[in-house]
Amino acid sequence: MENEMTLSFAAISENEALARMTLTFFVAPLDPTLEEISEYKTVISEAVTNAIIHGYEEQRTGIVRVHAILDGREVTVTISDEGGGIDNVEEAMQPMYTSKPERERSGMGFTIMESFTDNLTVDSRRGSGTTVTFKKKFSPVQEACSSVG
Amino acid sequence: MNYEPKGGIHMNHMTLAPGGIVIVRPAGELDHHTADSIKREVSRLIFGGKATGIIWDLGNLQFMDSAGIGLILGRMRDLGAVDGGTVILNPSPTMRKMFELSGLGSHLAEGTEEDAMKRLGGILHGK
Repeated sequence: MENEMTLSFAAISENEALARMTLTFFVAPLDPTLEEISEYKTVISEAVTNAIIHGYEEQRTGIVRVHAILDGREVTVTISDEGGGIDNVEEAMQPMYTSKPERERSGMGFTIMESFTDNLTVDSRRGSGTTVTFKKKFSPVQEACSSVG
Repeated sequence: MNYEPKGGIHMNHMTLAPGGIVIVRPAGELDHHTADSIKREVSRLIFGGKATGIIWDLGNLQFMDSAGIGLILGRMRDLGAVDGGTVILNPSPTMRKMFELSGLGSHLAEGTEEDAMKRLGGILHGK
């Protein structure tokens, strides 16, 4: 199966749920397990939240773009903003690192994203925005379950 | 005593049990957008001197991202001032992985809210 989608939305926190929901529907035909879907939604939520809080510093005029491609049982999702960018990507990806300790961020976003994806790349430059791309493979549908009834 | 946080579409239920233990039962989806109202309610109880320990019962939570980790870590910091304890119950498998990655694995517990109250009572009374 091949499919492709693009979604753009204002950088406001209400849209975190919109992005999760839309991208969940996009992979629904693959019949993923509950845990796979839950991990996939978490990664989307982390990347979109980063774009809103860090990329655009919660300026509601920013636009977050999401692009997804489905190829076989693998989805490739790109989430990008044209916000402030990250000075040092390697430092930002360290567990417990947060540039906003006062905002009660756990600093675990990138660590969680790496743990729940098959591949994660972060491309960012100060002043020219951030693009996060991840791939996630969904396991084959279990025949034993579908043959019941 | 029951507290129903105002202004949220998510029915987050909160109970203040005897001994100053707050039981928080977040429902629906917990992200950066929804974490704030829970934070305000729980912090109010801690800084009002009413809460000395927190049980996070996540059994009704359908989704949580790292905002949930930040919420729980933040309240542990608030509780630090009163030397209180934290117990996390009923996480989904995905949430469990996130807690373990974040170093909160030792706060995960099996059993009921009553079991967690006993465990917290023990922590709070140094037994």
